[in-house]
Amino acid sequence: MDKEEILRANEQSLAHLRSIYGDETETVIADARYGFISGLLKDVLKKPPIERLTLSDKIDRVVVNRWLGIPLFLGIMYVAFQFVFTLSVPFMDWIDAGFGWLAGLASGIGGWGGSLLADGIIGGVGSVLVFVPPIFLLFISIAVLEDCGYMARAAFVMDRVMHKIGLHGRSFIPMILGFGCNIPGVMATRTIENPKDRLTTILINPFMSCGARLPIFVLLAGYFFAAHAGLVVFSMYIIGIIVAVIVALVLRKTLFRGISSHFVMELPPYRLPTVKGVLTHMWERGRLFLRKAGTIIFGVVVLVWLLNYTGALEPIGRAIAPIFTPCGFGQWQAAVSLFFGFLAKEVVVGTMGTLFAAEEGVLGGAIAAQLGWTPLVAFAFMVFCLLYVPCVATIATIKSETNSWRWPIFAIFYTTAIAWVVATLIFQIGRILVG
Amino acid sequence: MVKKITIALAGNPNSGKTTVFNNLTGARQHVGNWPGVTVEKKEGSCSYQGYSIRVVDLPGVYSLTAYSPDEVVARNFIVEEKPDAVVDIVDASNLERNLYLALQLLEMGARLIVALNMMDEADSRKYRIDVEELSRLLGAPVVPMVANRNRGTEELVKKIIRVSEKEVQVRGLVINYGREVEEEIASLERLISQDGELSRKYSPRWLAVKLLERDEDITKKFK
Repeated sequence: MDKEEILRANEQSLAHLRSIYGDETETVIADARYGFISGLLKDVLKKPPIERLTLSDKIDRVVVNRWLGIPLFLGIMYVAFQFVFTLSVPFMDWIDAGFGWLAGLASGIGGWGGSLLADGIIGGVGSVLVFVPPIFLLFISIAVLEDCGYMARAAFVMDRVMHKIGLHGRSFIPMILGFGCNIPGVMATRTIENPKDRLTTILINPFMSCGARLPIFVLLAGYFFAAHAGLVVFSMYIIGIIVAVIVALVLRKTLFRGISSHFVMELPPYRLPTVKGVLTHMWERGRLFLRKAGTIIFGVVVLVWLLNYTGALEPIGRAIAPIFTPCGFGQWQAAVSLFFGFLAKEVVVGTMGTLFAAEEGVLGGAIAAQLGWTPLVAFAFMVFCLLYVPCVATIATIKSETNSWRWPIFAIFYTTAIAWVVATLIFQIGRILVG
Repeated sequence: MVKKITIALAGNPNSGKTTVFNNLTGARQHVGNWPGVTVEKKEGSCSYQGYSIRVVDLPGVYSLTAYSPDEVVARNFIVEEKPDAVVDIVDASNLERNLYLALQLLEMGARLIVALNMMDEADSRKYRIDVEELSRLLGAPVVPMVANRNRGTEELVKKIIRVSEKEVQVRGLVINYGREVEEEIASLERLISQDGELSRKYSPRWLAVKLLERDEDITKKFK
């Protein structure tokens, strides 16, 4: 029997059934299965006449309420970021003081070795490691929200919004995970059944501000927006979400036309998170950051130091810098930092640390003094870092998840283009407003 | 002489599948990747009364259509490796949704055991579940459990061995899709049965239903 013939017979059957049912056959089949189940359950399952509201149900009346849901979600996120920011400051000061002391010892050695140790390694890696407290606290917040069952509610609440942009709530979980790191975010899209939904969700995931971008925000917001630092960092996450939403909308109208599928959203009961569970989840994510600091960031920082020490870095920076003049940060140091930031976003801070031979505590001041940045420039730079090219590891993950080079390459260019346009708009419009 | 058995664990996300897997295998597990895709593959083993049971943890899925890589992986393992038994972890407090996967597994002809997990949660909601009737209607053994308190694990292992040894029969399930759909299934089934290559590997009825569901993965096998 010819297989082609079976397929032709199948097409005829489908057309015939469509004419009878006026609906797709797959729907008819799924309905029959659910019908079977509901029939079976009539015999098997006896529920109490009036189902008592569980505590979870009572909480859900408020949390997933049509009007309260979204404000509550934003409120919870805001509190989480304030928690991260406020609590981490003293710890960061201690670590910073420790590295400052180490750098002082190292520069005593003198010569190129002393410079490599003090300016290169301690200045570079040290200025990244200072961000261990906020990153780990961010991961703790995410773990608590996940483990207690709130993240599923957030997805449920966002489902309505997501439908408006042509996606569904299931796309929201990968986006939330992206706040930790885009790699698990991209991988979590596997639960999305519709390929177009999945690809859209993968492509917008890099706009979710990952933990590696946090050091950039904390550094610049801390110096340039002192009292409002928490709010400015929070705004980065919101800008990321807004850009992601707009891009998703555009993608669904252009490259990935079609209707998104409807699914039952899972709402597991609320549970009290355990300390062990939260710490395990924090460590699973946090150790990747530490490993990066020990490997790729260390390597890049030494490379940057070497290029700088030999005088090769400045010409590279000057060649790229003019591209960023319209965005307000056309200095070669900024260009070099962004260039190496492609390897890992923390490297942006690490590179600055090496270039200005300064640890976190004084790095903000050094940037303001030597580059002449205003808060507006710093804000435009933060937005650019938020939106531009995903890091190498994320690109590799997009490649393996989509099984082609087309989408990672697309992601590299379109994110950077968007970053440039948005940063330029912020700087140019801001300049007119500020006067 | 140790007898070797291979079983697969299936179940919806949040059904307690990971807990059952841990209860069965303890520390004897390792993690790899399914060939060709970046879906995580967890495997473990346990020994019981002269049997060595290899436990393969399938990705948590709601159904076995071929939309997501997770679902393809889960389905291919059952179809191609034909494990001695498939345990479907079902959330007893959420039967309506969880049984959809069980139905699909039975339609595939899997030698299914339904692990009725979270019985305590169902009890606290005052649900009364007639386990024997459920087993009779599905044509598959049902084991009530509370996995997070490690209750029912030994009964499950015993059932796994009895199903693998074919001491307990899994009848399998034929769902009636209505007269018109059944007519088309029957005519496609006839055509498929004439193809020796396909009908050796798959049940013709299952293939016919999948074709009518426009299953991409199965449709590809006809090209």
